[in-house]
Amino acid sequence: MPRDIVRKKITKNAYRITSKRAETCLRVRVPGGHLDACLLDVVRSIAERFGDGTVHLTTRQGFEIPGIPWERMAEVNKAVRPLLEALEVPLGVTFVDLDGGYPGAGTRNISACIGNRVCPFANYDTTALAGRIEAAVFPHDFHVKIAVTGCPNDCIKAHMQDFGIIGQAMVEQDASRCIGCEACAKNCLKRVTGAISMKNNRAVRDPRRCIGCGECVLVCPTGAWSRDPRKYFRMVILGRTGKKNPRMAATFLEWADEEVVLTVLRNCYAFIDAHIDRSLPKEHLGYIVDRAGWPAFREAVLQGVSLDPPLRVAETLEFSGYFYERDRVFR
Amino acid sequence: MRPMPGNAAERGYALSEVSCDALLREFRKDFRIFAPVRLEGRGRFSDTDMVRYGEIRNFREMELREKSLFSPKEVLFPPSETLFHFAETGVREPSLLREDGKGLLVLLRACDIAGVDRLDAIFLGNGPEKDPYYEARRKRVVFALIECGPLGASRSGSFGSCFCVSMGTNRASGYALVLRPEDDGLSLFLEDPAFAAYLPPDAVRTSYAPSFPLEDPFPVRVPDPGDMSRAVREESLFSAAFWKDYDSRCIACGRCNTVCPTCSCFTTYDVTYEENASAGERRRVWAGCHVDRFTDMAGGHRFREKYGARMRFKTMHKIHDFHLRFGRHMCVGCGRCDDACPEYISFAACIDRVSRVVDAAASTGGDDHDAR
Amino acid sequence: MTHVDLWNDSPASSRECAEDCRCGHGSEEPGRGSGNPYAFRSLRIRDIRVQTEQDATFRLEWPGDEVPPPRSGQFFQVSLPRIGEAPLSVSDAGRDFLEMTIRRVGRVTEGIFACRPGDALFLRGPYGNGFDPRDFRGRHLVVAAGGTGLAPVKGLISHFASRAGEVTRLDVLAGFKTPGDVLFREELEVWKKGAAVRVTVDRGTTDWTGPVGVITTLVPELAFPDPENLTVVVVGPPLMMKFTVLAFLDRGVPLGRIRVSLERRMSCGIGKCGHCKIMDRYVCLDGPVFGAAEALALED
Repeated sequence: MPRDIVRKKITKNAYRITSKRAETCLRVRVPGGHLDACLLDVVRSIAERFGDGTVHLTTRQGFEIPGIPWERMAEVNKAVRPLLEALEVPLGVTFVDLDGGYPGAGTRNISACIGNRVCPFANYDTTALAGRIEAAVFPHDFHVKIAVTGCPNDCIKAHMQDFGIIGQAMVEQDASRCIGCEACAKNCLKRVTGAISMKNNRAVRDPRRCIGCGECVLVCPTGAWSRDPRKYFRMVILGRTGKKNPRMAATFLEWADEEVVLTVLRNCYAFIDAHIDRSLPKEHLGYIVDRAGWPAFREAVLQGVSLDPPLRVAETLEFSGYFYERDRVFR
Repeated sequence: MRPMPGNAAERGYALSEVSCDALLREFRKDFRIFAPVRLEGRGRFSDTDMVRYGEIRNFREMELREKSLFSPKEVLFPPSETLFHFAETGVREPSLLREDGKGLLVLLRACDIAGVDRLDAIFLGNGPEKDPYYEARRKRVVFALIECGPLGASRSGSFGSCFCVSMGTNRASGYALVLRPEDDGLSLFLEDPAFAAYLPPDAVRTSYAPSFPLEDPFPVRVPDPGDMSRAVREESLFSAAFWKDYDSRCIACGRCNTVCPTCSCFTTYDVTYEENASAGERRRVWAGCHVDRFTDMAGGHRFREKYGARMRFKTMHKIHDFHLRFGRHMCVGCGRCDDACPEYISFAACIDRVSRVVDAAASTGGDDHDAR
Repeated sequence: MTHVDLWNDSPASSRECAEDCRCGHGSEEPGRGSGNPYAFRSLRIRDIRVQTEQDATFRLEWPGDEVPPPRSGQFFQVSLPRIGEAPLSVSDAGRDFLEMTIRRVGRVTEGIFACRPGDALFLRGPYGNGFDPRDFRGRHLVVAAGGTGLAPVKGLISHFASRAGEVTRLDVLAGFKTPGDVLFREELEVWKKGAAVRVTVDRGTTDWTGPVGVITTLVPELAFPDPENLTVVVVGPPLMMKFTVLAFLDRGVPLGRIRVSLERRMSCGIGKCGHCKIMDRYVCLDGPVFGAAEALALED
């Protein structure tokens, strides 16, 4: 074991401190959580050659390869190259040294539900968007968690992230195809927000209640409802787990296009840089905003964003979380 | 002037994309043209397309290589149409019934021509009255057949559900011309020589002659309606156990009805305009026997509440009841219901199940041993 | 609901349609002269007689000189433009009147109940086969009607009850849920002059002196002196019809001597819309009156 390890340097290289002093563990990113199956062989080979032969599947859809002796990091970094070339370079991520391993690990893997490559409910290709977000934010040392999900079912738990991106379908109706069967209205009432009502035997959507899930398109037997092929997203922000004040993310933007999403994500780093409490090893964005104030955050991340309709920006954030006020709960 | 084409071998032409557009321009002087079109991103799932009928102006707008999800019936029988306009001064019929518009050139496949024949039976033939709205469009329709080929179209993609050969609808008649999509343009066959007048000068004579599907991907055994009647009388068919499968499998969404080229049922209702309560209209919309409320009576009574009973009702209509009245099956084997069912229920497989029950009834003198 | 005053503001005002309308006004046959079978013509309400809390009989002016009256058991599609259309059966008709006994059960009938004499209803029809009195002449006719099922046979009963000798014998069985539901009270009394009339209710009240029980309980009391010459007509809700037919079968009446009138959701009335189809039959075209054998074979 080397005598002197620069902790911050190895962390930035995607290795972590483990409970075994002689060993480290490598974090492998899989942006969007979808990869060519042959890459599993690369992961497997790293685990078997350098690690303890096991692999952990992370909640963020990456791999952690444990049991790597500290002294083998340089070899491992070379072995990681095929992963970088297959999973990062095609997205547009640039590397100073492709044999140097991961250049950052603060901003975590961009996780994604399976998206419309498989799931009928998804309103877009989540893996592809995760890739474009990866290109926009990776590598970065600030600890930011981003996840993208295809629809408000939120299978990826975007609500537990600093930034959660939820696909929205801007549905349009060809009224001449509506036969008044009420399939959409009944479904919306039972499963969603009850945004569709019947007027003169035709389905009418209340845009204020519609969350863009796209289910009306799925259930309409005549194709009267369809999606505007342009993609829109709802962004929920500042959700978190943790030891202080876990909470669900709150809706910040609705009907944002991809450019808005990417701009807000890019902008958040300057805000963090300006306001983070550097006495902590890593302060989560939500706590920074709690301290620095929501208006300051909003102003910072919306810089350069054109606020034209249909984009809607929340005036306030509605969080639902709790503090560990244990005495109140346990008497 | 080009000499009038004579025998079949001399009625084939090749048209480049450019000359297709010239042809369509000529057609459009006399016709509105309806063909399958691809609506990008408008499919049921995100980033998927919808292929259905639309009015087209040029070659590029047509989608001739895919089976449309919805049938061409909507050209003749739209999902929603106004029967009467109500105003303070009286009742007005839509202009459709008053005006003689252009012809309607409809590009469609052999099964779909059979589908129109089934719609004709109901709208023009069932009972003493003709449906004037249907008739107003129908009398203006000219068919252009989209060739399916001996197995080309019937083997791949959405054509995997076709069973026109089993239903005897693989060949059609009554069309004016035949089209086959080619890499650059179309092969064209003039069934009606009069349509030579529309040909652009650069149309090239070829030996092209249309061919028809000869075999289904999954052949379906269609029971004889007489045998079915017998199985009904002997109470083996309606009591067959397999119908109950559909009680839980079918979700009564009605997609099989809406995509069907022969489902002709409709519901009529009146509306009052919000802006002007003294005006309104009487409208009719597609209805489906699988959908709730289809049989509801004003007093609250309803029939066929179980979805299996609805499946049976539809099946009987498509391959038995209609046949008793009109001497041909209603189902034309286009397979769209199988393509559209979100629960993956195959109507073709259901016909096979009926056949097995009918066969069993015939071989045992009426006892229903193995309904499945 | 909002009262829609039948298309015109004042009942007394002229109710002419627009010049170019083809709704059938002034045509030879109501609703059929225009070429559009969905078009309707207006018939003015002559009087309205309340039957029960929810039923009333509407007598309309019928241009009898132009058109022969429809038969009992046939039906019309009755419109209130901007509200809708409903199939309503003929309960009686004559040279100058058309009578429909209507239960208030939906939007259209609600609207009709808001009408007053002088208002117009908009009709197309008649549709269906109905009952032809000639089919019953010289026979022993038994009519069993449940609830509103009495309406489509009312004219038939009146016809024979007032023409002694046209049938050899006339039995009328009528069943209602409660005494408050009894329809045609006056007619039931009048009919007694020419027919054996029995009225039963499912649930009696203190002032009800007649029989209590479902209509099938009346069937055993009937005498069939000339079984070869018997014809039975059963009309009513689906379950009532089924069990009443079975009760007659129990009495040895052959299926071939029983007729029923099927209730289905007639909508277009002309065999297009599909709502009333049962197997290969369309109730609007082939019915609503069917031989019981055929009706029993028609399975929904």
